[in-house]
Amino acid sequence: MSGRAVAIVGGVTTPFGVRPTTWPELAQEVGAALFRAVPELRSEDVDSLFVGAAEPERFAFQSHVAPLAAEQMGLQPYRILQRTELACASGQSAIRSAYAAIASGLSDVAVAVGVEKMNLPSMSEASSAMGCVMDRPWDGPHGATAPPFFAMVAQRHMLEFGTTEEQLAAVSEKNHRFANSNPTAQFHAKTFARDKLLRLPIVSPPLRLGDCSSMTDGAAAVVLTSEERVREYTDTPAWIRGTAQYSDFHNLANAGSLTEWPGLARAAREALGGAGIGVHDLDLAELHDCFTISEIIEYESLGLCARGEGGRFASDGRGDLGGDLVVNPRGGLLGCGHPLGATGIAQAVEVFDQFSHSVAAARQVPDPEWALVHNLSGSANVHSVMVYQRGGAA
Amino acid sequence: MSTEAKRRSRESATVLPPVESPSPPAAAPPAPPPKPKTNEKRPFLLDFFPLETPDQTRLHRFYERLREGRLSTTRCSRDGSLHWPPRTACPRCHTEAVEWVDLPERGHVYAFSAVLAGAPYGMEDEVPFAVGLVDLDGVPLRLFGRIEGRPWTELRIGQPVKVEAYDIGDGRVFYRFRVVD
Repeated sequence: MSGRAVAIVGGVTTPFGVRPTTWPELAQEVGAALFRAVPELRSEDVDSLFVGAAEPERFAFQSHVAPLAAEQMGLQPYRILQRTELACASGQSAIRSAYAAIASGLSDVAVAVGVEKMNLPSMSEASSAMGCVMDRPWDGPHGATAPPFFAMVAQRHMLEFGTTEEQLAAVSEKNHRFANSNPTAQFHAKTFARDKLLRLPIVSPPLRLGDCSSMTDGAAAVVLTSEERVREYTDTPAWIRGTAQYSDFHNLANAGSLTEWPGLARAAREALGGAGIGVHDLDLAELHDCFTISEIIEYESLGLCARGEGGRFASDGRGDLGGDLVVNPRGGLLGCGHPLGATGIAQAVEVFDQFSHSVAAARQVPDPEWALVHNLSGSANVHSVMVYQRGGAA
Repeated sequence: MSTEAKRRSRESATVLPPVESPSPPAAAPPAPPPKPKTNEKRPFLLDFFPLETPDQTRLHRFYERLREGRLSTTRCSRDGSLHWPPRTACPRCHTEAVEWVDLPERGHVYAFSAVLAGAPYGMEDEVPFAVGLVDLDGVPLRLFGRIEGRPWTELRIGQPVKVEAYDIGDGRVFYRFRVVD
């Protein structure tokens, strides 16, 4: 990691769910919440704004959302104002862009915000929006969306390694249980016992409703600054110690075995290497559980267990409180919902809040120092990884 | 197979007839679709089927050949790599010298699932429908597509399928797979 040290010094998440509110209203809401959450922040401090938004054109019939978000949030950036789009990883892309701008000296104080409004009056229009994340002229006409793709991943993992529906349900049960102690989660205060999960309707076989993250409206924002100004805002910064990304493919024909995600292994190795730690040093990880099978393959790709053993890692509770590390204490995409552009930022907010011990006791990781955040995008085409360290000196 | 391994195996791809060689006799015209669609024109931004004509795409020959019952793609004239989807430039050596080649019409299912809910606009009436990844026989290509001819509950990995062209009802064509025994 070169350049100035950069940290997240505060952040906030709006309630996620089916929200009776528009895209601009979500931006306004998260802006107001951010200034409440970081009382030392002044509008004029914010020289740059990065707006993670996956598909405002499709979901809100709105382009040019960066100045829209700035206006809604009451910001007038004067160094860098831009939108970052990487489908499901659009939020993390905003953070990585802010990090690069601050590390290089181009920006001093930046906000990374993610906003997505996904619930439309017509479910089929919303599904079309999700479908055009795929290779539209080739995979799209067949009806490709995320659920059938990740269902094929699950089918192959079950065939090759004997992974079971019960092991998939173990991931969902854990993440929904954590979401119960997260008041911003879409499925807050809803119980999903394993036997109930196994009776939910099938969306794309073998995946049931409880194996899939939902269509969600929501927003989240974080403030980033350099080592020179961190102490103006917080005593518990979350330092960015490593970040990496790897792109494997786009068209589904080039997805390889489905059960092996070499891009994640490579990005994680590089991000952890940049931080100077190994995967077993992590105290918590926010992994991209868009589907239960994703979290299982992520355990394997990160090297938390051997290839094929992710299902057992889940059913043995090794990603739960009291396990090897805590995976998705926020509630994951399964429990919190998945507003595409906001997800990566909400994960970073969770890391900041975990480091400052400001989450509910039921999901607080004991004294965490190292955290990893992962987002995949599309059909696991691209893997984006960040490594954070708690507090201390720059 | 990793992406790298797949790339390596593509280098030794079975040689296919180049486009300028005599074309095989045109196959029988595609069978009429089981559920004819209306000719209602969808807004372009809600229509997954691409525009297929020479004034819209440099890959129009794909659709012209598909109309003759031939599934085809491009191959790099310089390094021989076989592409999917068809391309106008080789992703490995970046030349724009590519040639059309026919693909085998048979393959076997590598993985499959189905859409039981949440279908895109215009496909709601087709639910439930099966989709899968199909290894084409004799070439290192694994294509995604609809699988027709059997309910998803009766499909299995390794199921033999064949490619078929179909008329989408407004003058355009596309391809899908159909189960064979």
